[in-house]
Amino acid sequence: MSLKVGYAGLTHLGLNYAVAGASKGFDIVGYDPNPGRINDVVEPGLPEALENNKTKLHFTNQIQDLKSCDIVYIAPDVVTDDKGQSDLTYIKQMIHDVVEVLDGKTILVVLAQVPPGFTSSVKYPAANKFYQVETLVFGQAVQRALQPERFIVGCAVGEAVAPKLQEYLDAFNCPILPMGYESAELAKIAINCCLVASIGVANSLAEICEKIGADWSEIVPALRLDKRIGEYAYLKPGLGIAGGNLERDLATIVNYATEHGTDKNVIQSLRTNSAHRRNWPLKVLYEKVLSKNPQAKIAIWGLTYKENTHSLKNSPALHLLADIAGKDITAYDPVIKHLQGVVIASTALEAVKNADVLVIMTPWADFKEVDPNLVQQQMRGKVVIDPYAVLADTADFKYFTLGKEFVC
Amino acid sequence: MLEHLNAEEIKPQRVVIVGAGGFVGSTTARNLREKGIATIELTRNEINLLKDNAAHSLAEYIQPGDALVVISAIAPCKNSTQLVRNLQMMEVVCEVIAQKGDHLSHIVYISSDAVYADDVSLTTEESKVEPSSMHGMMHAARELMIKTAAGSTPLAILRPSLLYGIKDPHNGYGPNSFFRLVKQEQNISLFGGGEEQRDHIYVEDVAEVIAQTLLHKSKGILNIATGISVSFRAIADKIVEVAKADIKVEPTERKNPITHRHFDVTAFRKAFPNFSYTDIETGLAKVEQEYSEMV
Repeated sequence: MSLKVGYAGLTHLGLNYAVAGASKGFDIVGYDPNPGRINDVVEPGLPEALENNKTKLHFTNQIQDLKSCDIVYIAPDVVTDDKGQSDLTYIKQMIHDVVEVLDGKTILVVLAQVPPGFTSSVKYPAANKFYQVETLVFGQAVQRALQPERFIVGCAVGEAVAPKLQEYLDAFNCPILPMGYESAELAKIAINCCLVASIGVANSLAEICEKIGADWSEIVPALRLDKRIGEYAYLKPGLGIAGGNLERDLATIVNYATEHGTDKNVIQSLRTNSAHRRNWPLKVLYEKVLSKNPQAKIAIWGLTYKENTHSLKNSPALHLLADIAGKDITAYDPVIKHLQGVVIASTALEAVKNADVLVIMTPWADFKEVDPNLVQQQMRGKVVIDPYAVLADTADFKYFTLGKEFVC
Repeated sequence: MLEHLNAEEIKPQRVVIVGAGGFVGSTTARNLREKGIATIELTRNEINLLKDNAAHSLAEYIQPGDALVVISAIAPCKNSTQLVRNLQMMEVVCEVIAQKGDHLSHIVYISSDAVYADDVSLTTEESKVEPSSMHGMMHAARELMIKTAAGSTPLAILRPSLLYGIKDPHNGYGPNSFFRLVKQEQNISLFGGGEEQRDHIYVEDVAEVIAQTLLHKSKGILNIATGISVSFRAIADKIVEVAKADIKVEPTERKNPITHRHFDVTAFRKAFPNFSYTDIETGLAKVEQEYSEMV
């Protein structure tokens, strides 16, 4: 008989993992007090996966429906504040409510982003209580949930991965790494710290490139061929970390370092560098446009914190909008159609009409499809600030991108 | 980062300037007067902050609703005697703030970028206050003193970079001393090759930033810097050029390591998005013009 697996919490995290489980043939119960929120989640391939597996997916607002599950994942997205601090109130309440309807024999897996020590503190029989690292990436969530690189599973001291959980995870055909709860919880944070460190290095060196005539995009392929760095290393310069999860993990490490008296300078520097690079578009905008023409009409493409998501959490675009409030701004984003106080155009080309400057804040693939010559025809000015090098610099633009010297 | 309590410019009803006779103080006072803002300009003649009863004398000038601008200092502060005196002066100011705090609508303290460590590659308002000089330590201590005294009264601390202008009294290494050498038809002797880069601010710009801070009733910390650093060699060459002087700019044997100072002026852009600094070429040309007019 096929396992029945429950997911409590149907925001981005729970929904994508639930869909992945259904895709592997398991019966899935998706519980959320407001299951209608699944319609708010934007991910490539998600609508198709929901449609293809609808017979395996049962969404409910009845918590008792989890009773019949062999495994229940606690999977709400844990919200953070502006400083990256987690608010664990909701997940604690959800665990409390879920545990009340389970009999203790059901396998309980904490999948959400929690600090080390959290799973140990959950009151539930240790042999059936696990923590599992989630490694979803906004914009690639379905693919990563279906094809994980490995599973990292936190277990109680002396306990192995429970057979039913092992059976479920085996269906994904990847290595399973059991370890202690705290190790697994810290492993999740360690992964993100390594990623941010790579981004921090890329950003620091890209900034040097902008000053000395080097081109970071020429250097990156050389780094990727170095096995110690690797093909998939995070080497693209960006506008600092955003989205909430990476910020949370850095904040957690800084908090632990402060509490336990370990060195926090490396992690703190990554946060500082992130904040510094977030201001890159603003600096270029002032230097190249607003210092000469304070009344300039500004077009902004992209509002979400990255492509293929609806999330605006810590989005560099929102920071930029706040910093240039009061200016003549028209924005366009493929998924954000309303934003208080901002004129939103219905197309990318409409947004650039008569603009003196175009700032591309999110590297949506849609923008790559736009003919730069049409953009130029619509614009009044020629300045394009394109940190992620989305729009080809083929037209007669004054073009500025990360990691490349400003030549105009 | 500055926070504006006045989103739009509102003239303060009156501004009391402590240190209105100095280089920055006199320029600021003129700027405010030209804007039609009432000022009480206190120089050493009206108040000597090192004299007995100075607090009482200063307090008598304060009326309800006044804004207070504190510029007065023995600067540059080079030794422990001057350090102590500067702190005593600030102690008097803090005593008055404590007495008259309810009367003051706003306080602005003019500090210095000397409060930052010398080895910061890119200075922001978030950079650590870690002074390496008596002058920097003096301002760092005075910032803390006035911040503590201000309590809930809105306080802005402004940290200008290196200032230049014809009335500069310090004659420190840089544009001011270079101009004077040029006017005396003497060669300019650089430290090493003059490679060090600094962010030079025209004194009129500092006065305007102070005025804008008052008009917006801003609180917080802000660096006053253009964001563009220039080497001393380049400054010397430009001065020779604008003054059309027939003198030499001479390198010397380097005795100290080269240090640079660059500013990230993002916080300034956010605070005053429409403010344009005087570029170095224009500023030096203005100083040259002032010298010509003096003649």
